[in-house]
Parts: sequence; structure tokens; C-alpha cells
Amino acid sequence: MTRADYIVVIFALLLVPFLFTRYWQAPAQGETAEILIGSDKKIEVSLNKDQELNVEGPLGASVIRVHDGKVRFIDSPCRGKQCIHSGWLQHSGDFAACLPNRISVAVLGSKRRYDAINF
Amino acid sequence: MSRRHNGALHASRARGWQSFLHIVVICACMPLLLAACDNDESSLHKARLVAFGTLVDISTWGVNDDTAEQAIAAVEASFNDIDHTWHAWHPSTLTQMEARLAKGEEIELDADKIAFFKKARALSDASDQLFNPAIGKLIALWGFNQDDRPQGPPPEPDAIKALLALHPTMDDLIITDTTLKSSNPAVRLDFGGFAKGFAVDKAIEIMRAHGISNAIVNAGGDLRAIGNHGTRPWHIGIRHPKESGIIASVETGGDESVFTSGTYERFFEYQGVHYHHIIDPRSGYPAKNTLSVTVIHDDAATADAAATAMVVAGPEQWQKIAARMGITKVMLIDNNLTVYMTPAMAKRIHFEIDPPPKVIIGDAT
Repeated sequence: MTRADYIVVIFALLLVPFLFTRYWQAPAQGETAEILIGSDKKIEVSLNKDQELNVEGPLGASVIRVHDGKVRFIDSPCRGKQCIHSGWLQHSGDFAACLPNRISVAVLGSKRRYDAINF
Repeated sequence: MSRRHNGALHASRARGWQSFLHIVVICACMPLLLAACDNDESSLHKARLVAFGTLVDISTWGVNDDTAEQAIAAVEASFNDIDHTWHAWHPSTLTQMEARLAKGEEIELDADKIAFFKKARALSDASDQLFNPAIGKLIALWGFNQDDRPQGPPPEPDAIKALLALHPTMDDLIITDTTLKSSNPAVRLDFGGFAKGFAVDKAIEIMRAHGISNAIVNAGGDLRAIGNHGTRPWHIGIRHPKESGIIASVETGGDESVFTSGTYERFFEYQGVHYHHIIDPRSGYPAKNTLSVTVIHDDAATADAAATAMVVAGPEQWQKIAARMGITKVMLIDNNLTVYMTPAMAKRIHFEIDPPPKVIIGDAT
């Protein structure tokens, strides 16, 4: 091996930790859900942590519960309660919305498999 | 001799340095190449807005922030404008028109609105009146003309019969190049998803006018995709009609609309019976036997009318309607989750459930 070869090998070895830290991403931390309020305000919540959120919409507070990797509406100040009827959301792409209160919840998933969902 | 040897040594050293430099340059570029893969997502813009009483998701690929934001704002304005024009039960241009049509008055309309009526009538005729936007009174009788879920009970059979006897269709409208008149007072217009499909087509026009050639506009079940996501096609999931999650997926190419009409979208239950919003204009009751129909076609408005008509047509008659409407890619899922597809659709559908469903392939005839 020439001196140049040694230098290349050393250089390559030095590159490994850099590439490792820069591009090796830890496996995604489970799934997350996106709560959209109106057309622009977004909250992202992890489905790994059980919690209950009071989300203020134009009609009042909608209550969204995260439990055991799933998320659902448990209360909303609308009349139809369609959002509550939607039940638990778990899979990537599942979503429920309280349109009168302009709040929606969508499960994003650790990896986006689809660019859009036809439903 | 020794001099010459020395010279050769120099040359080989120089070559060594040269190849060393090459390698250094390649190594230095590697992170950049990898970074280029990462940047894929930075050309993607996503926005979600509420219009037509549904969520509208918009994605654009390959344009800068400003262009994407301007186009999305213009699309939102257009959606709201179409909603205010064609909404069937909120105060809209349509509800104002209707009051005058019911009195038998002749209404003057601009070219855009005339084109909308003509397209709806042509699709209604092509569908053998199974897509019939003139049965608004029947829809209202069932209570599907409000934002909230109807509570039931279902209407009295006599009330349904009385409305059916008046036989309102789009053919009762007298449409000239500038005016509109109705010859049947029983006509009440409810364009439902068709207006949404029309709005999606407009949205794609707006995208193109902003120089965007890669985009998805998804208004609930009405989706139109143009171009692709960088080097790969757009990947669209189709919702399972009975469970949460995805039943199948398709990849779009070029410019295509993917539209699903499902009986699970709006419904109510009364004494254990499921009543959904797609009313069969022949019987006056919700269409039987079908859970959903997915259509791939070039324009969204046609895809919408065709999918709705084929939910009504059901597993026995969908092929006839597909042929009449010139639709080649259809997937119908019946109440037993049996999937009926045209051969052209079968080539595009990738099932995402295990085991895959029972499939019956048949051409549009």
C-alpha cells in the first residue's frame, strides 16, 4: 500500500462516525397523531404517552384522549357527535374530525406510507 | 539513467496524489449525495384546510415555499367560492336560484354556471339517471340535507312514493347558453360530491397556473393527482369500507383522479338498521348491496358522478353504467366484501390486506 492508500483508509474510517451520527436514525418512537385546529394551528402528540387534551375550537373545548397507542374524541361541543362516533384511531391514515368545531385528529404513523388517503 | 528513473518516480507519485485527491473529492461528496436523498422531503409541501364540510389535503412537490403557499391560498379561495355557489342547504347562489326555479322563472347565468349545469346533465343522462342531482327533495326527506347526522326514523313509504311519482330529473331543466328554467316544480338540486369534484378540477387548474406540475388535491374521497413525488409516483391509499385502515393502494401516473364513493361516509342507524346517504333514485331508498365504488378517471367531476351512479347500480349493473359513462377503471366492493374490478383497474390495484379479498374481474360492457 502506498502512503496515499493509508491516508484514504484513515479518512474513510474517520468518515464512519460522522455518517453514523448524521444518517443513522433511531427507530421512530411509535406513532404520532396530528391535531389540526382551524386551517393552520397544528399540535403533534405522541401516542405512546396516555393523556387527555382539551382543545379549544370556535364552539368550545373538544376533549381528545390518547390511550394505549390509540387516540379518539371523547367529547365535543357539536350537535352531531360524528367525531365521537368515529371511535378509536390507531392506524396510519385514520382520522376523525369535528367539523363544526373545526378540529381534526389524524394518525400520522412512524413512516408515511401514503401520499394521500381516498375515503 | 538515474535521472530518467527519478522522473518516472515523480510521475508515479504525482499519479498517486491525483488518485488520492479524486478519492478525497468523492468521499467529501458522499454526504452531499446522501443529503440529496434527504432533501426529497423538503420539496414537499402539505396543507390541510376545511371546505365543503370536509377536510381538504393538498400536497405539492418540487416548488419553493412561496409558490406553494400562494397556490394553496388561491385553491382555498376557489373552494370557498364554489362552496358558496353550489351548497345545497347553506344559503348559496344555488339555494337562491332554486327559489326562483320553483316558481317557474327563467334565470340568467354566467358561462361558468351554465357549463356546470350542462356537465351535470350530460353525466346524469350518461348514467341512465342513476346519478341524479334533481332529487334534492328526496335527500331532504331522508334528512341528509344538514350538517348533522340525521336521527331517524326513515321517511314514511307514502311520502317517498309521492316524490318518486313526480319523477324529477336533470332533463326537466331547460338550459340555453345564458339561461336556466325548470319545467318540473319537483326538481330540487343537490349536487353533492359532484360540486366537490368540480372544485378539485378547478384546484388543479389553479396549481398549473402557478407553474406547479406535481400536486395532489384530496377533498375527502375526491382526489386528483398530477405529476409525481420526485422520482417516484404518488402513492394513494384507499380506505377499507368496513374497518379502519387501508384496503388497497394505487400509484397514479401523469394526471388522474381517484374517487371513492362509500356508503359509510354519511349515514344514520335507526332500530338497528343502517341508512346511508346514497339514495337510489328509482326506489327512493338507500342503494343496497354495495359498500363502495372507486373510479380512476381523468377528470374528478366525471369520476365522482360515475362512482355515485355505480354504487346505485350495484354488483349486477355497474358494468353497464361504466360502459355508458366511458369509465374503464372501476373497483366495486359489495356487502360481503367481494371485489368486482375491470381488467384495467386490476392492473393498478394493490391489496394491502391479508388475505386479499375475493376478486371477480369483468369488463365494462
